[in-house]
Formats: sequence, C-alpha cells, structure tokens
Amino acid sequence: MMKDIIKPTVILTAIALICVFLLSHVEKLTVPVIAKRAKESREQALALVLPGFTVTGDEKRARVDGSDFTWWEGEKKVEDAIMKEKTVKGFAFLTKSPGYSGDIETMVGVDENGKVTGLTVISQTETPGLGARCVEVASRETLWDRFRGGIPVRDFADEARIPWFQNQFEGLDTKKKIGFMRRGVWNPNMRESLLEKNAISAITGATITSTAVIAGIEAGVARLAKARATQAPAAPGGAR
Amino acid sequence: MRHWKELVKGIWSRNPQLVLGLAFCPTLAVSTSVSNALWMTLAATFVLVCSNLLISSIRKIVPGHLRIPLFITIIASFVTVVDLLLNAYQPEVYRSLGIFIPLIVVNCIILGRAEEFAQKNGVFVSVLDGIGMGIGFGLTLTVLAAVREVLGANSLFGYTLIPGMEPATAMVMAPGAFFTLALMLWAMNAVNSRSKRK
Repeated sequence: MMKDIIKPTVILTAIALICVFLLSHVEKLTVPVIAKRAKESREQALALVLPGFTVTGDEKRARVDGSDFTWWEGEKKVEDAIMKEKTVKGFAFLTKSPGYSGDIETMVGVDENGKVTGLTVISQTETPGLGARCVEVASRETLWDRFRGGIPVRDFADEARIPWFQNQFEGLDTKKKIGFMRRGVWNPNMRESLLEKNAISAITGATITSTAVIAGIEAGVARLAKARATQAPAAPGGAR
Repeated sequence: MRHWKELVKGIWSRNPQLVLGLAFCPTLAVSTSVSNALWMTLAATFVLVCSNLLISSIRKIVPGHLRIPLFITIIASFVTVVDLLLNAYQPEVYRSLGIFIPLIVVNCIILGRAEEFAQKNGVFVSVLDGIGMGIGFGLTLTVLAAVREVLGANSLFGYTLIPGMEPATAMVMAPGAFFTLALMLWAMNAVNSRSKRK
C-alpha cells in the first residue's frame, strides 16, 4: 500500500522537477529576448501606423464599454495650400475583433480627419496559408529570379516591405463604410481604384479574416471617440 | 545493421502518416506552404527526439499506470521549450505557425512513439527512431505542402512561380489537403501491395 503511494509520487515529483529545471532555464534565456522584441515591435508598429508623426507622451488608457482601450496621440507639421505651417493630430490605437480562429489584434493609425494612416496586425491565430496571410509580405520576385541569382528591379521596387494586406489600408476613410472586393493579392497599382470605392482587396479564401480587420477598425474608431470624450477636459497646458 | 533499420523505417515502411495513419491533423493543417512544413518538421522532430531520449532513459523506473501523465508532462515541457525558442529567435515563423506549435503536445506521433517504442527500447535506438520518424513525418508533410503550395498559391518557398497566373485556391484550403493526402496514400498502398504480390 505504502509502496503504491510513495513510489509513484516520488517518480512524478522527480520528473516534474527535471522539467521545471529545464523550463526555467529556457525561460530565463528567452524571456528577455521576447520582451525586448515586443517593445521593439511596439515602437516599430507605432512608426508604421503613424508615419511622419511624432508620438507625444506615453500610451493612454481608458475603460470603454467595460474593457480597456489603449491609444497614443501624435502630431505632424504639414504645410497647407497657402504655405502656412500647421499641426495635424494623429491617433494610434489597439483594437481587436474575432477572426476565423480567435481574435485578430491590430494597431491602427488615423489622422484627425478620420483617414487611416496605417495598420499593422499585432497578433493573430488564423489558419496558416489562408487567414495568416494577413501578415505575409508579398514576394514580387519569382523563384526563377532567385535561381538566376538576382532580384530584378520591378515596378514595385520602392514598395514598402510590409505585408501587402496591411499596406492597402492607408488612406481609407473611417467616416464612411469600408468595403471589400475580391482582387487577389494587392499591389500598389490597385491603390487608387480601391480607394475610390473605400474598399480593400480581401485575402483569397479568408474573407472572414479580412472583414474582421475592417470590423476592428470600425469598433476602434468608435471607442477612440468615446475614450477621448472621457478625457476631454484634460491637458490644461495644451489649451490656447 | 539494426540501427540503420530503426533510422530509415520511418521514411517508408513505417511512415508515420502514410502507413501508421498518425498525425493527420498537423499534416493537413500546416501543409499550406513548404516553409511552414519544414519549420513544423523541425519543431516536431526536436520534441520527438528529446521525449524519446528522456522516456527511454527512465523507462525502467516508470510504473505502468503512471506512464501517460509522465509522458504528457515530458512532451509538454519540450513543446514549451520549442514554443519559447521560436517566439524569441524566429518570431516570423512563430507568428505564421500560430496555434500549431502548442498543438505539437497532442501530435499522436510523439505520444505514439513514446508508448510503442521508447518505453520498450534503449536510449540510442530510441533517438534513432525519433530522428527517422521525424524525417518520415517531414517528408510526407513537405511533399504534400509542395504540391499544395505550387498548385494552390502558385509559389514555392514563398516565391512566385508564374507571374500573373491565377492559382487554384482550393488546393491551399482544406479540400486540397484531403485530395492530395488521399492520392499519396493511394500511391503508397499501390506500390506496397504490388511489391508484396511478387
């Protein structure tokens, strides 16, 4: 009886200790790297969704509709039609909406006129090869180019090396309904005709993923307005 | 000679998916692109070899009724190691494979080899068995992924094959995986039954 209880307990404990020892060492090794990457990618994400803007202050948090909402404010100096310098405000926020197999978390940048300045997917668990293509960087060179040993300068040579799906959100108007079309892999030549319709080209075979990202933007813009309204009288030094 | 046999059996005569009928879930799900398939192979083989190594070395002290919880603890630990390492050093791969890395815990090849082989055999042959099974798993996965990526996405290793051609998207979706895997199973059985008749 005692043997039936003590021996298994000792063995299970010993194996668990070995596993914990292994895991704690791997964790010690990797967690700083993961944290550093997370911080870097947060900064890169902000630079990506608010291009040209300087982020002012730290991230801001508010409770909107029962859950936390995080956003950043930035500003950029532009020259208007009569060469007068003025400051344009921009906002970046985190938002998420349910995709095909879990929440898709994105960071979206909008300027004060409600135009999207950029979008990047922070985390997703969509199907590899389908919905997960929302983080795929389109390859403009073919396999044959690779074998020949050089990547030719194609029309898209100056295209930003960011995922094509995310690239196409720049310039969309969040005050109007954002639609989607089935045009396959987006390329910069499609930008104008899609912006006219205020639409994106959905990922082939992953319409749910594509519409989820749009739903995330719409929900995020609405929550941004509410969050800013709660903090409106703040910033005493900023008022003129 | 026996050692060589343990190593190569996973490739053909005891191929995990095509003969043993194991691990269809990751095979169907991750074979959408060749690079996904190769990283999945690497991750699963690492877990398989490590768990075979540890399980075969403690096989004499493990009481029969305790083996399942013990095996799962060991396998889950190695999967967590892979998960952390990929997250830290290959974030792109980690993002692309997503949920299928933690799901290696329930990859039935790994528990299957622990049950069927590692707990009955020595450390050295168990490691060879793990490597061989990993190669066999990876070979099936990569062939399947190559067919699906070429036909379904018009690309290989992410590089476009024929610019401007519209790919047969059904091939990267679930039906394409089932068709291709069925054809591979059929080809395997046809070859095997023909060689048996001789």
